[in-house]
Amino acid sequence: MDYLSKLENQSIFILREAYKSVKNIAMLWSLGKDSNVMVWLALKAFYGKVPFPVVHVDTKRKFPEMYNFRDKYEKKWNLNLIKGTCPPLSKVDPKLPKAARSAARKTEGLKKIIRTKAFNGIIAGIRRDEQSTRAKERIFSPRDQNGYWNVSDQPPELWDSFHTDYPKNVHLRIHPLLSWTEKNIWEYIKKENIPVVDLYFAKNGTRYRSLGDRDITQPVKSNAKTIDQIIEELSNTEISERSGRLMDNEEEHIFEKLRTKGYM
Amino acid sequence: MNSLKSLNPIKLIVVGHVDHGKSTLIGKLLYELGQISEDKVSEIKKSCLSRSVSFEWAFLLDSLKLERDQGVTVDTTQIFFRTKKRHYVFIDTPGHKEFLKNMITGATQAEIALLMIDVTEGIRDQTKKHVYLLRLIGMKKVIILINKMDAVDYKQKRFFEVKKKIENYLNDIDIFPVDILPISAKRGANITENDKIKWFKGNTVASVLDKVESDEKNQNSLLRFPVQDVYRIGKKRIIVGRIESGFIKEGDKILISPSNMESEINSIEIWPRKMKEKYFAGECVGITFKDQLFVEKGNIISKKRNPPMVLQTFRSKIFWFSKEPLSLNKNYQLKINTRSYEIKFLSIEKVIRTDNLLEKEKKIIERNDVSFVRIFSQSLICIDDFETLPNTGCFSISNSFEVVGGGIVDTKNDLVKKNDLNKPFLKSEEFFISEIDRVLRYGHRPGIIWLTGLSGSGKSTLAKEVEKNLFSKGYNTFILDGDNLRGGINKDLGFSPEDRKENIRRTAELAALISSAGFIVLVSLISPYRSDRNEARSIKPEIFKEVYVQASVKECERRDVKGLYSKAKHGFIKNFTGINAPYEKPNKPDLIINTEKQTILESSNNLTNFIEKEFSKI
Repeated sequence: MDYLSKLENQSIFILREAYKSVKNIAMLWSLGKDSNVMVWLALKAFYGKVPFPVVHVDTKRKFPEMYNFRDKYEKKWNLNLIKGTCPPLSKVDPKLPKAARSAARKTEGLKKIIRTKAFNGIIAGIRRDEQSTRAKERIFSPRDQNGYWNVSDQPPELWDSFHTDYPKNVHLRIHPLLSWTEKNIWEYIKKENIPVVDLYFAKNGTRYRSLGDRDITQPVKSNAKTIDQIIEELSNTEISERSGRLMDNEEEHIFEKLRTKGYM
Repeated sequence: MNSLKSLNPIKLIVVGHVDHGKSTLIGKLLYELGQISEDKVSEIKKSCLSRSVSFEWAFLLDSLKLERDQGVTVDTTQIFFRTKKRHYVFIDTPGHKEFLKNMITGATQAEIALLMIDVTEGIRDQTKKHVYLLRLIGMKKVIILINKMDAVDYKQKRFFEVKKKIENYLNDIDIFPVDILPISAKRGANITENDKIKWFKGNTVASVLDKVESDEKNQNSLLRFPVQDVYRIGKKRIIVGRIESGFIKEGDKILISPSNMESEINSIEIWPRKMKEKYFAGECVGITFKDQLFVEKGNIISKKRNPPMVLQTFRSKIFWFSKEPLSLNKNYQLKINTRSYEIKFLSIEKVIRTDNLLEKEKKIIERNDVSFVRIFSQSLICIDDFETLPNTGCFSISNSFEVVGGGIVDTKNDLVKKNDLNKPFLKSEEFFISEIDRVLRYGHRPGIIWLTGLSGSGKSTLAKEVEKNLFSKGYNTFILDGDNLRGGINKDLGFSPEDRKENIRRTAELAALISSAGFIVLVSLISPYRSDRNEARSIKPEIFKEVYVQASVKECERRDVKGLYSKAKHGFIKNFTGINAPYEKPNKPDLIINTEKQTILESSNNLTNFIEKEFSKI
């Protein structure tokens, strides 16, 4: 079996385990390349119809191209879409640096929707190679009632025997793409012909490698106009994927701080 | 320079005693291979500066705040890298004693293990524990790195001293290392090139990695397809799961365990479309059968000739993480082949000291212990011996919310195993005609339908009606009625709790015997105590169904078919259930029939349908 098929099968196995073992789950759909791959994998796992809601936590600060994409593929993929809202910035911890505060706003939006819909499980498309604290993640990762992540005492995950039994006030974050790399994502998008927002492709010498809120996301220098060129570029770059995401670089450990408090 | 196609990265784990240089090795290796991005290096430099410490390669992995402050690795981290030949994923693991669970979490995913030993400290207890656990979970490819050679002036003698000692230990636990190398991670000696250890002419870390042959696991051809879930898509019932070994194709004749039903694969279902004829180990597929059969999560589909073992009691080698020692009185959950089972530990055979491989004196399993145990499961489990088929022979153990340990099925050298290995349906060594023969002849599975409820709730009436229904449909069926048995086999018994217990025990044994003859046995018995009913279930849990025949005391009193309530009320009968003796309602009955709300016809039809679904004709 080739490697992309291995990753695909592993993710489908995880999605099916989550659906069977965790009551009331939903999938986060950020409209980015990774979460499109994830929705596609769910279509594969469940024979063409995603059997749980797909949640877009809307900061209202995304790019217009992203909203157009959402409206188009909500219909095309026949998704049960829930649009989550975020509180005003004034309600978020003012001690955080600017961009991180903006990201923390999204965490609050996510927690709100988990609370109101009483979700026991949230499927999120994070990957280990994106960011070093994400590298420490488990595939089935518990969060306490405040959404907090106890990173130094995580449950063991033996073979593919995932533990899904937790007290009522705990919710699980499920990460089917944890072992994928950015390059794998693009190769799979190519192989399966999965649609993505145009912003990923270079215009006038720049492109977005990672999509977040408009005000805290910057494009990177690039001439990659096609998927093949993106894959080629990724094979040679020494710049990390999230370098355009301002929140990651404002101060040391800011990302870890955001994540222990419930960020994806 | 790079091919565009992602190669299959080989998963590596680095283990060893704390401070023997695991993270430093990875940091240095990645640096020498030119795989650390510029912004990563500048981030680490900034971090070291702010803590006034010298530049540490280990910080590359130890990115969590806690770790940089204390200088230790807390949790499993994964780092991707490549040599000229191929791709790798490094799973870094912590060396601290209390973090063993993270080490094993990493190791269960890895293909090659690097064991680090500090040449100045030699082999420590933790070194042995790690390598012992690697062996336990089936790791075959171990590379030994004797580190910090710079601290002993790269002396050959010191290297060989440590080498000999570790070889002896590895020999004892049946590990044959791929190679044993002298290195200095900190100084970059013998990592990707060797210009410092002049006397050593062997491999570098990078070259030995590239030489290890990656073999696809699970080349074993025996089919194992554990059922993960069943979906209804349109008119199809699709059974989904991952092939753990072997392969399948349409038209294959298969056997389902533990029910022992046979069928044929009608179709393989893949969305959006099926791409090939055969599907192999590692692939998630859906299948449909030629026949309508009942299957559920945890069942294993195999070829008829080589089914998995179907056991209730088996021997295992386990490792323990919980702060609470293992208790022989507690119930635990064992998760294997995607299904969770209620289990108890029957006995602790031995607890192993990994430092000298002797037995611990006390048979108590504490945190981080390794031991042999015998496990009893409430229902039948489909499993394989780990050495033969690793994927279907390994499990995790939890105690409600906490994962307390894990282990492997080890039925070798198991003196008691012979009895267990015979499937309950397949006792062909003892009987010429086996139960499966009877199932095939009669066209349905045997069953025990245990009707419990107050006197007058309608158990006997229901049993008679259902027996008629089943008999007319061609089922072999028989009623065991409490009142009738008390006239004969149980006539020496009264109504005290002890006698009721014995009454139920005998009835349950009789029911089990008659079911062995292929019958569906309907037992009609008040059986007021939960514990007694649980005992009855434990004889043949896989075919036992508890049915609660529900009616209020008031309603039963009103019916009072036998005039017993009135006698009890007037004190003529002692220990009468519902009046002056308790009735414990079932907590989780398999079915409830409410005879106050349903007519006799409705009740009997409901129960008949339930039985047909559970033990249907095949």
